[in-house]
Amino acid sequence: MQLSLGIDAGSSAIKVAVVKSNAGEDVELLATVVQRIRRRNVFDVVKATYEEACIRAKVDAKDLCYVASTGDVDAVEFATGHFYGMTTHARGALFLVPEARAVLDIGALHARAIRMDERGKVLGHRMTSQCASGTGQFLENIARYLGVPLEDVGQLSRDSGVKEEVSSVCAVLAETDVINMVSRGLTAGDILRGIHISIAGRLVRLLRSAGAEGMVALTGGLALDTGLVSVLCDQLSKEQNKAKKPLPPLTARSHELSLFAGAIGAGILGAYRHDQLAKRGRLGVVTAQLGGAA
Amino acid sequence: MSDPASSVVSRAAALVEDRTLPAVRAWKEAHPDGLVVGYLPIYVPRPLIEAMGALPVAVFGGGDAIDIIRGDSYFQSYICHIPRSTVELGLCGDLDALDAVLFPSICDVIRNLGGMWRMLFPDKLSLYVDLPQNFDMAVGGKFYVHEMQRIAGELVKRGAKPLEPEALRQAIARENTRRAAIAELDLLRRTEPWRVKASEAYLVIRAGATLPAAEHEAMVREFLAAVRQREARPVDNVRVVLVGSFCEQPPFDLIRALERSGCDIVDDDFQLGLRMIDGDIPGDDDPIEALSRAYLERGRDTASRYIGDLVKGAGLIGRVKASHADGVIFAAASFCDPALLDQPMLEHALTKAGVPHTSFKFAENTGQFQVIREQAGAFSDAVKLWGAAS
Repeated sequence: MQLSLGIDAGSSAIKVAVVKSNAGEDVELLATVVQRIRRRNVFDVVKATYEEACIRAKVDAKDLCYVASTGDVDAVEFATGHFYGMTTHARGALFLVPEARAVLDIGALHARAIRMDERGKVLGHRMTSQCASGTGQFLENIARYLGVPLEDVGQLSRDSGVKEEVSSVCAVLAETDVINMVSRGLTAGDILRGIHISIAGRLVRLLRSAGAEGMVALTGGLALDTGLVSVLCDQLSKEQNKAKKPLPPLTARSHELSLFAGAIGAGILGAYRHDQLAKRGRLGVVTAQLGGAA
Repeated sequence: MSDPASSVVSRAAALVEDRTLPAVRAWKEAHPDGLVVGYLPIYVPRPLIEAMGALPVAVFGGGDAIDIIRGDSYFQSYICHIPRSTVELGLCGDLDALDAVLFPSICDVIRNLGGMWRMLFPDKLSLYVDLPQNFDMAVGGKFYVHEMQRIAGELVKRGAKPLEPEALRQAIARENTRRAAIAELDLLRRTEPWRVKASEAYLVIRAGATLPAAEHEAMVREFLAAVRQREARPVDNVRVVLVGSFCEQPPFDLIRALERSGCDIVDDDFQLGLRMIDGDIPGDDDPIEALSRAYLERGRDTASRYIGDLVKGAGLIGRVKASHADGVIFAAASFCDPALLDQPMLEHALTKAGVPHTSFKFAENTGQFQVIREQAGAFSDAVKLWGAAS
């Protein structure tokens, strides 16, 4: 069994996962750690999160066979190798939801629908366009304008019975809609519900355009927003009724560790890659870096 | 510890980014009687120009640093970007330092650009350079010698020194040492790609577009010495050969985007003109014939060069093997006929040889790289993990 570590350097938080596996199979998750970047130096946050994860996993850095980064490649100066976010989210999601054949990664700056096979290999994907109106950053901004703590967003939305949508085309238009809703006296919960309906509609269209089928694993920060997940599942279940012709079945599931899908996937793929390099006689590329370069 | 290469890379970047050609203007002040001879991609015999006391200057268009206002009105929408930005630079006065411009026979667009240049700037010398497509010394070689003599004659009429064999031998020797330094840099990139980023090598090599050969060689050597002092360590990236960017250059941030996607670009055809000839050109006998023979017999395979009965793609596969690359990225400028007409044949050869490949197009002023990043990242991971492009 090998020890490997994945670091997901996102735009607002650093996520680290330590895994034990047999070349990326028979995976055991040893530890997960997240730290918000806030206004700190990103390199310091990466180092601190990495060290904390090693301590929690009771792992000596020099015993790690591969440190894999994902997300912002420049933030992790000591990585053995880098994997693209799409690849790591697919593998991480497969670990968390083994029956999933698609992933919906809803991050701070964009959302991405990914189709994958039973190994977690990416078969196709679609991503939201430039506008941030369907993402975590937008929702976080609105929550701040409304004075609602992030952890309360999901419950407030679920408690609301309102079905009023905001614009899903553009964050600027959506914010204008929110201002109108505030002036019309709608509660924070109703407004957040409206935003969730709007984002979920966009995500369903994204999944369909990517050709996703079957179980969809939700990853990224917004996968923990219970209000959004509830609306999304609701829209997927009702979608068939509205469709003119039958659509391939789609169901979505989140996981309490969804936030760490990228880091977990990076850790698993790192171990897999290490095994491949060993088989190809190219392990020399990575041995020079072992021993916890951070 | 600070990066020992930062100073030379900054100087190179400044030379590349300043489209008003500060090094050329400085050269002209130091050589008031010297001609400055610009040339469009891919290749002209630079030693011929240097031997006549002139400074050859490679013109790569305006990149992403210039808004095209007038340049667009000279070309249809289905034409690549480099002629538009070159016209724009000319009309803005940024290329005023050039006394002459050579337009090599790479494609119809560059040929047409030469014609427009002649009309737009009638006081400047504008010459079409017909490079041979027959590689028999008795035919193409003889033709190319005549072509070089014609160019030399035209430059003399504009005030350049007459072409003397000894001066040409010395210029060839200087060019040989420059190419040897670039070859050493290319070798280091192949053996220790973590020590030299392709984007840095790009800047240092491209800076030579506006420098005399000896000055550029010194810069490349300084860079080599500096990067060897770096405390660099290997990174598990995918090794790729990048082809298709031999004329219009991709935006610098695009090269960085590919690197950030986990790709080590271990071979490329950026600024191919500075590396067109493999190995040294002998200058002992008739130097102008030596220049001709070198182009015919040791010129690099590229889309605008006829290869007769040879197999298309064989040269590329040879480069993949020599650089131990895992895959190939085709990065051609939009509407670049030579690159895009060649691409299907090269892709076919790579597929047949089991070499993973992917492709995208760019324009020199492309500003958004998200899609390319996605594609390159997916390609890099697919090759790294599954050993295939998809």
